[in-house]
Amino acid sequence: MNQLKLLSIQGLRTEFPTPDGPLAAVSGVDLEVTRGDVLGIVGESGSGKTVLGLSIMGLVDRPGRVTAGRIAFGGTEITNYSEAQWQGLRGNRIAMIFQDPTTSLNPVQRIGVQMIEAIQAHRDVSTDAARQIVREAMVRVGINSPDERLEAYPHQFSGGMRQRVVIATALLNEPDLIIADEPTTALDVTVQAQILRDMRRLCRDTGMALIWVSHDLGVVAQIAHRVAVMYAGRIVEQGATEVMLKSPSHPYTAGLMASMPANAPRGQRLVSIPGGLPQLSNLPKGCSFAPRCAHATTACDVLPELSPTSPDHAVRCVSPLQERS
Amino acid sequence: MLAFILRRVMQSVVVLFVMSLIVFSMINLVGDPVDMLVNPESLPEEIDRVRRDFGLDQPAYVQYWKFLTGALAGDLGNSFIFGRPALALMVERFPATLELATSALIIAITVGLPLGIYAGLRPNGWGTRIIMGGSVLGISVPTFWLGLMMIIVFSVILGWLPVSGRGETAVFLGIESSLFTLDGLKHLILPATNLALFKIAMVIRLTRAGTEEVMAQDYIKFARAKGLSSKRIVRAHLLPNILIPIITVLGIEFGTLIAFATVTESIFAWPGLGKLVIDAIVNLDRPIVVAYLLFVVALFLVLNLVVDIIYAVLDPRVRLQGEGG
Ligand SMILES: Nc1ncnc2c1ncn2[C@@H]1O[C@H](COP(=O)(O)OP(=O)(O)O)[C@@H](O)[C@H]1O
Ligand code: SF4
Ligand SMILES: [Mg+2]
Repeated sequence: MNQLKLLSIQGLRTEFPTPDGPLAAVSGVDLEVTRGDVLGIVGESGSGKTVLGLSIMGLVDRPGRVTAGRIAFGGTEITNYSEAQWQGLRGNRIAMIFQDPTTSLNPVQRIGVQMIEAIQAHRDVSTDAARQIVREAMVRVGINSPDERLEAYPHQFSGGMRQRVVIATALLNEPDLIIADEPTTALDVTVQAQILRDMRRLCRDTGMALIWVSHDLGVVAQIAHRVAVMYAGRIVEQGATEVMLKSPSHPYTAGLMASMPANAPRGQRLVSIPGGLPQLSNLPKGCSFAPRCAHATTACDVLPELSPTSPDHAVRCVSPLQERS
Repeated sequence: MLAFILRRVMQSVVVLFVMSLIVFSMINLVGDPVDMLVNPESLPEEIDRVRRDFGLDQPAYVQYWKFLTGALAGDLGNSFIFGRPALALMVERFPATLELATSALIIAITVGLPLGIYAGLRPNGWGTRIIMGGSVLGISVPTFWLGLMMIIVFSVILGWLPVSGRGETAVFLGIESSLFTLDGLKHLILPATNLALFKIAMVIRLTRAGTEEVMAQDYIKFARAKGLSSKRIVRAHLLPNILIPIITVLGIEFGTLIAFATVTESIFAWPGLGKLVIDAIVNLDRPIVVAYLLFVVALFLVLNLVVDIIYAVLDPRVRLQGEGG
């Protein structure tokens, strides 16, 4: 077993029961994250990114649940952990940050209380010692005068500042992995850039691994070493960031890139992919992207495997796009 | 805060004045109190004399003016039946009602809150179905019928508890109450439970709805992502958020407890305000009825004010109108 392998997911499937039958929000997902790695997960809204993150945390909303596959963390299988075992892992070895900083903090508890409890849930330390750890974490994410901030309530902070508090909270127990679910989507561009820069620095300094989830390939490209593209609950393309950006092989990835503002020729409108996500409870038999794909043929009626095109690049398509020069 | 309170007090005075006008006009439309005060076989001269003695021969507006000037000096008139000041009679009876209503409120909270939280945390459980079924019963079965059933079962058949009346009282910390003697408690338990039943159902429903709403919030998900135990989440994140609306509603409901106590007090012969006013209505004892109604209005006004202040203290986001900033 590779010692550097921090997170290893195989064939993960997470379903929600619905009146029309089970809805697989995540299906057949294989992922690997090594220590110090930054993995970006990209896909349009509804593609299953959040549910994937929650599955890794054992936090899928009931009656939804992981119905197949295995998740191993630090070499230990955690798929069938009991609630008590999950509690020991969450916020301790794996932390998660959510999309909307305005709702992630309890409005009626002081910031200090909400941060200190995260430490005391896992370590037997005095409140004073915990407060010191909190101060240090706040400074690390660029929050000034932490002592005053500890006494404040969330509504007294700006959105960007609240997200920093959330990030600082995630850092408190020095986790091996942070799952950041679109942490900057709700923030303005300047704050987003600052937070991206800070997170990059934090990962470099601490050696923790990061899964950065976003619907925006441009944001992910700025931080991730590797990128996985999700579509309708499946990973359709995965590879090193530079390789993926230079030669996207899946028509969906190519479409995502064409719709990035930076890639639009001056004066021209952005090209967006026609159509929308298919209904997850009623997916096409073969490739889920076929209804929107300009390259679809009858060969696409069979679900393609995620297969390597080069050592650091895999794609789920019967006729991957050729490398562009 | 002070400006806010002052303004509310001034508003309250206006409301009380308007209410006194309405109550006084209405009560002058029903019945002739003199019929109740004299022997039906009395001579006309005798009847006229009684009418004059009580000032009932004067036009209504003169009577009202007399009442108003008296009220401003703290005199709400004399009871026709007891021949004593209405205010003094109410002050005498009030502790018994307050004791009953407070006990009912405490019962409603201590029983309703845990059951409501349980139901909110397990929306589909068996326990929840039983609790919710019970609460429908609590709301739909008439209080007086339940009261009679309770007397029949616990007092008449089982003989565990006294049938009616208030028990011995004792003085503790300068308060005289039947809560401090065993005999007093035995007398209190049935009427207090009877009065509480409706409120228990209400607290269960409020708590359950609040729990379901709060548990779906992002900050609960983030609290779970920190690895907090369920106990900690309920205590530090669920309770403070659901208590705000529950306290608001219960504060106002305390007024209705005192008002509803009339039924319970009549069934259990509890010597409180409710029994006083029911007797007064039957005997057309106008001063008592007027004084009682004004008292209930004043009580609601005070409770509203207190609730607003508590609300502002509990919820850091709320700033009272009229307060700077
Ligand atoms: N609690 C839930 N109950 C039912 N369906 C859910 C729930 N959470 C997510 N889903 C479904 O799973 C799919 C993927 O959602 P999500 O992971 O939130 O997408 P993304 O984060 O990529 O926008 C969606 O179709 C959504 O309807
Ligand atoms: S498998 Fe076929 S439909 Fe799917 S992306 Fe490739 S070409 Fe398009
Ligand atoms: Mg999402």
